[in-house]
Amino acid sequence: MPIDSYRFLDFATRKIMQAWTARQEPGAIPFTPLARPLRECTVALVSTAGIARNDDRPFDQEGERRNPWWGDPSFREIPAGTTEKDIRIYHLHVDPRFGEADLDVVLPMRRLAELAEAGFVGRPAPTHYSTMGYILDPAELVEKTAPAIAARMREEGVDAAALVPV
Amino acid sequence: MGLVQRVLEASGIATVTLSWIPELTRAVGVPRLAGIGYPSGRSFGRPHDADGQRAVLRATLQLLESASGPDAYVDLPFEWPESVAQARNASRDIPHPPIVDLLKKKPWLLPLLYTGRLPRADSLPPEEGMG
Repeated sequence: MPIDSYRFLDFATRKIMQAWTARQEPGAIPFTPLARPLRECTVALVSTAGIARNDDRPFDQEGERRNPWWGDPSFREIPAGTTEKDIRIYHLHVDPRFGEADLDVVLPMRRLAELAEAGFVGRPAPTHYSTMGYILDPAELVEKTAPAIAARMREEGVDAAALVPV
Repeated sequence: MGLVQRVLEASGIATVTLSWIPELTRAVGVPRLAGIGYPSGRSFGRPHDADGQRAVLRATLQLLESASGPDAYVDLPFEWPESVAQARNASRDIPHPPIVDLLKKKPWLLPLLYTGRLPRADSLPPEEGMG
């Protein structure tokens, strides 16, 4: 792994990320082989940028300000065709301006549509997803949010998903 | 994010993560992972660089097909076009997250963040409670 995972981080953040890395105990890793060739797959995207549409409920920033050990573990659906004009980014630990200038840097729905047009993937899913990445206690994320996203993906016939921590 | 990926994969969806902190994501134990040396907040590249973003997404999705088993990992060959200082300076004026402000006031709480032994909401003083 020649990529330096901590290159862009300040000293304190780097130390915390390294401590978290050392603390993981992954156990068995699940693996689902791709069901069909990628050029036939329906593909969905998931971003941790804390993206919510302006006509949807924002991620709860006030809750995190009241208790900085807590982060909103819910998720938002982002329908294909949503652009930076339709959303805001509610993650208090990242600079939201890049994704609010061009949503594709954190949720590349237009790029995915282009790759589908080019025949590289089958089709984009009708719906994509965002969580908010600052979650210190992952219980609700793992027990409620992720299964709910999986259920929505299955309803829409999703074969494969690309996820991106932001 | 690695935890969400594991749940999706276990439910029958093939998944890949693109991570700018691949060491941490890989430690969580994920089926397929592409690491990229980009700064936080713009994992797929610079705003309005459609060609660059598409190349990163394409390389990430490629791993869905090329991985033959769990813990598949690739380092993506893309280079961030700015120095570390330039990338950090671009976000200097963003307010600190609440946890940083709290730990500046109460640095003795820092070990809780390292160890993950989080204070319970009902043990916090009212102004820090979840309300």
